[in-house]
Amino acid sequence: MIRIYRQLFTAQFQAAAQYRIQFLLWMLFSVIRPTIFMAAWVAVAAAQGGSVGGYSVADFAGYYIVMTLVGHLTAAWNSFEFEFEIRQGRLSPKLLRPLHPLHYAIVENQVFKFSTLPPLAIVLAILALTFQVHFATEWWHVVLFVPAIVLAWALSFMLGWVVATAAFWLQRVQTVNTLLQRTSFIFAGQIAPIALMPAALQAICYALPFYYILGVPTEILRGGVSFERAVALIVGQAIWLGVCWAAFLVAWRRGLRQFSAVGA
Amino acid sequence: MIRYLRMFRMFALSELQFELEYRLNFIFVLLEMVLVVGTSVGAVLIMFAHTTNLNGWTLPQMLVLIGVFYLIQGGNALLFEPSFQRLMEHVRLGTLDYHLLKPVNTQFIVSVRHMRVVRIPDVLLGFIVMGVGLAQLGARVGPLDALLFALALLCGLALVYSLLLVLVTLSFWFVRVENLLTIFWAFTDAGRFPVDLYPGWLRFTLSTVVPIGIAVTAPSQAIASKIGPVEVALLAAGTVVAFTVASAFWRLGLRNYTGASA
Repeated sequence: MIRIYRQLFTAQFQAAAQYRIQFLLWMLFSVIRPTIFMAAWVAVAAAQGGSVGGYSVADFAGYYIVMTLVGHLTAAWNSFEFEFEIRQGRLSPKLLRPLHPLHYAIVENQVFKFSTLPPLAIVLAILALTFQVHFATEWWHVVLFVPAIVLAWALSFMLGWVVATAAFWLQRVQTVNTLLQRTSFIFAGQIAPIALMPAALQAICYALPFYYILGVPTEILRGGVSFERAVALIVGQAIWLGVCWAAFLVAWRRGLRQFSAVGA
Repeated sequence: MIRYLRMFRMFALSELQFELEYRLNFIFVLLEMVLVVGTSVGAVLIMFAHTTNLNGWTLPQMLVLIGVFYLIQGGNALLFEPSFQRLMEHVRLGTLDYHLLKPVNTQFIVSVRHMRVVRIPDVLLGFIVMGVGLAQLGARVGPLDALLFALALLCGLALVYSLLLVLVTLSFWFVRVENLLTIFWAFTDAGRFPVDLYPGWLRFTLSTVVPIGIAVTAPSQAIASKIGPVEVALLAAGTVVAFTVASAFWRLGLRNYTGASA
């Protein structure tokens, strides 16, 4: 398996080298959105005399800079592409290969991240300097961040695939995607650290998977949670990952059974 | 002028006919847009649960700003974007010849020939959100403010149009202009908050190179009496300059166009 993956990575890196500029452009998207909300919250905090609900200007900056990194590392886009693959008949040849399509997607996903991480790090460092960020990170925060980010990525990736499989039955997965994106926009901690949301919305945040993808690794790395809380949140991530994995297995098997390629 | 308006109506009707084949699609797009606009407003409401002003902007003023944002973005997606997309295709394939042969202003026809009628809900939702904000501002909106607002809004649309025209004109020389457009879209997102919120470099970008920030903020400032006739006059002058330069650049590009078989 390791040998297979090494080959896949080499091939994918070569393929990706053709699209260097595009990669940088997509990166731009992942930086601008958090910067916008950072600027807005910094303004709110400034209007309230420097801090809102325990978050100072420097905390907001730290929160959103870490979130940009987390958002980048956990990004998954298969739910957008899968529909096209089905419609254009590109799925069928992939199914004939001995390797599950999932593996190709994993490698493609990772290669994009490896190749864009250095420029992203530079941009984030500049942002961090402009806003004079503050982190309360202890050493164990960094240690816990490792499983948290891996789980977050796996969860995001599998959730994306569950949605992608909807294309076996639905013609407009795009609408489902918009629905998911906007729900995530509200409940993942993107528009605000969830501690600042009304209690009812906070409860929804904890119940849905989105907070475990973006908010949890962010709060852990910036040092915003206690040790016990961090562990509890990581358990939450694992539970949601299990649910998504199970849902994917069922949906994939059922979907394939009734899938007939376009034109077949 | 009347002739151009009549032509514009005909373009709209033909696109509408085409789009009516996909009526269900309309409903889905509407649903998505309600969701997008709803969550944007929700985000701002959460912020205003913690403060009464955002860098000097009150909640009703922010609602107006969000409305204007979707108005400009929607207007752009409805009108210019689809036409310009086709234009780039025409340049690449050499089929721009057909447009050049028509006895009308070429800039007019490449700018508004195609519409994406499904984006009308964007504009409508923008109006609704803006209307809610205006209703809350209530009596404080005088006739002068309203006039300045309308003028600034027109300028905003014209500024965005001018930038897009320059970008697509580049396709006469370069084949891959899409990348530049991607940068434009990435920055568009930042228009949903007033530009005065952003750090210097971003504010500068949004007021000059990618004028979406000023296009959205200026009308909202006008309605909130944050800027007066002088500023709007300056904005109008700037817009005229931008439009003239963009049109001149377009004609320069056109002269560079050699057609399909040449």
